[in-house]
Amino acid sequence: MRSFRRGLVRASSEIVEGVRIALSNLVGARLRSFLTTLGIVIGVMTVIAIVAIIQGLNASFESQISTLGAGTVYVSKFGWFVQGRDEWWEMRNRKDLGRRELEAIQREAVHASAVAPMAMTRGPVTRAEKEVSTVQIIGTNAQYLDTGAGSIAAGRFLSEVDVDLSRNAVVLGAEIVDRLFPGSAPEASLGKKVMVNGIPFTVVGTVGRRGQLLGMNMDANVIVPYTTFRRDLGAKRSLNIAVAAAPEDLPALEDELVGILRRVRQVPPDKKDDFALNRQEQFLKVYRQLTGALYGVAIGVGMITLVVGGIGIMNIMLVSVTERTREIGVRRALGARRRTILLQFLIESSVVAALGGAVGTALGLGVAQLVALLTPLAAAATPSAVALGIGFSAGVGLLFGSWPAWRAARLDPVEALRYE
Amino acid sequence: MDDALILVEDLCRHYVVGGETVRALDGVSFAIERGEWVAIIGQSGSGKSTLMNLIGCLDTPTSGSYRLNGADVQGLADDALADLRNKEIGFVFQTFQLLPRATALANVELPLVYRGMSRRERRARAEAALAAVGLTNRMHHRPNELSGGQRQRVAIARALVGEPSLLLADEPTGNLDTATGEEIIRLFDDLHRRGHTIVLVTHEPRLAARCPRAIRLTDGRVVGDGPGAEVATLGAARAVHG
Repeated sequence: MRSFRRGLVRASSEIVEGVRIALSNLVGARLRSFLTTLGIVIGVMTVIAIVAIIQGLNASFESQISTLGAGTVYVSKFGWFVQGRDEWWEMRNRKDLGRRELEAIQREAVHASAVAPMAMTRGPVTRAEKEVSTVQIIGTNAQYLDTGAGSIAAGRFLSEVDVDLSRNAVVLGAEIVDRLFPGSAPEASLGKKVMVNGIPFTVVGTVGRRGQLLGMNMDANVIVPYTTFRRDLGAKRSLNIAVAAAPEDLPALEDELVGILRRVRQVPPDKKDDFALNRQEQFLKVYRQLTGALYGVAIGVGMITLVVGGIGIMNIMLVSVTERTREIGVRRALGARRRTILLQFLIESSVVAALGGAVGTALGLGVAQLVALLTPLAAAATPSAVALGIGFSAGVGLLFGSWPAWRAARLDPVEALRYE
Repeated sequence: MDDALILVEDLCRHYVVGGETVRALDGVSFAIERGEWVAIIGQSGSGKSTLMNLIGCLDTPTSGSYRLNGADVQGLADDALADLRNKEIGFVFQTFQLLPRATALANVELPLVYRGMSRRERRARAEAALAAVGLTNRMHHRPNELSGGQRQRVAIARALVGEPSLLLADEPTGNLDTATGEEIIRLFDDLHRRGHTIVLVTHEPRLAARCPRAIRLTDGRVVGDGPGAEVATLGAARAVHG
């Protein structure tokens, strides 16, 4: 027991001593230490900067994507991710989606919690002499908000009655309120007349601010009953249909929708679907593929630089062992065991590398912040990235320091003491 | 004989250099009692350095036996040899062999670090050892801020700090001027009087003559063993005649 305790004290004092020696050697040869760790610094800096930028992107992307309903399937002629011109033309030539599809879904989709058509066009919205020229005009029904399309800020949303009677009622997006009623609260717009594409509408409500989705302003729109849309805004364009469901019902809902739509659109059994079911998840999937590839590249580049850095460390440690041969001899004469010497040099190489890693991490975060300042890209630093950067460099130091440390430990004390 | 500190019997150390066997030590036997001050004297190539390395447990013999403080050194593993050096032997080298970046105090503490002693105890003992060689006011100096004599005193403090049973000095005055060398020898004399066992390896008859006993080596064999003054002149006589 006593000898075990003594062993512990010895081991811990050897480690403390090793770190102390490592630091004093670092300080003693500042320029060399700096050059030695440069490879590690650059490697870690690159990885940390890229990871920080990707994580920043992730955070901002995920907050943007949440403006699309997570539990909503968007039925459309076009898929969100079109691969190549042929596929686009195929989609372009599909039959439009219309009232028949909408009504079939409303009637038959038992998993749906909300079904809202989305007819879209662009046009000017004016009030007195104020005009917003190209506004997204959405024709929909009372369930639109339940498909994850924001919430009411003032007044009310469109009602069933508005839709049934094709009233000229309009709900304004946050930015339209800002531009048509500058400096006043959203409530100030209620009951006021605005012209949508030249036709008078009465404001019944406004929608809360939603932000941007991939550069698309989600607040520069107005919402009108789709019946009114069809009558007054006349677009005979294909409808999009938003269908919401509880998250656990989504797969069943999709199956259901495919069945309904194929039947209504009379798609022969041997033909592919002539419509698309789009989901927020698809964005995430494509996005993750993209950033996954970026991660891969960053990690690959980082690895290569770290290996180069590691070789630098190995090289300098070999030089250091040679230079300090006599010191090693003295330490051995005074009672240092082989593993004590081994440990000392391992600690030294990993401390050097870890310091390089710390500097690289700091620089990498700095670069990421700079990129965040100068470009629209965001940057986020997570503690795990920092720990990983430093830990990984220490590991590289350990790995590449082991051969020199082993050489140091293997020195014959007699030869080492005699070394000139 | 059994209570001798150093008991060397028929010790041989052969090297193979370029296919040829060099008998650096060729059957050396002697005993050194506790409290003795013995010079090992010989020309370069006489085998005295080889003998010092064996006595210092830095090297192992080709054949023969070596007992240090009752323990058989023959066949000990590397770790055990390191522990033995740490506990039983205090080295003093010709070129001092201090760590350049460490203070005098840190240099003296080093053997105690390898013994696994607590920081506080280490510090206290190292300070005492430096005080014993008269360097109380130089503790925090680095070797390059010290004179040659002071450096060798630090080295002696380092050798003494672990309370070893043997002080093993290799040409301790070789890099010092005469006056400083004399100082160091007086320090050894003092340590001897206080009961330390000292083995001093040298090629200088003048130095060996100062020791109560000297062992002369020539070509790896003991050619003289007796009072320092006699063995030293024996060498001188041989040098004159030979």
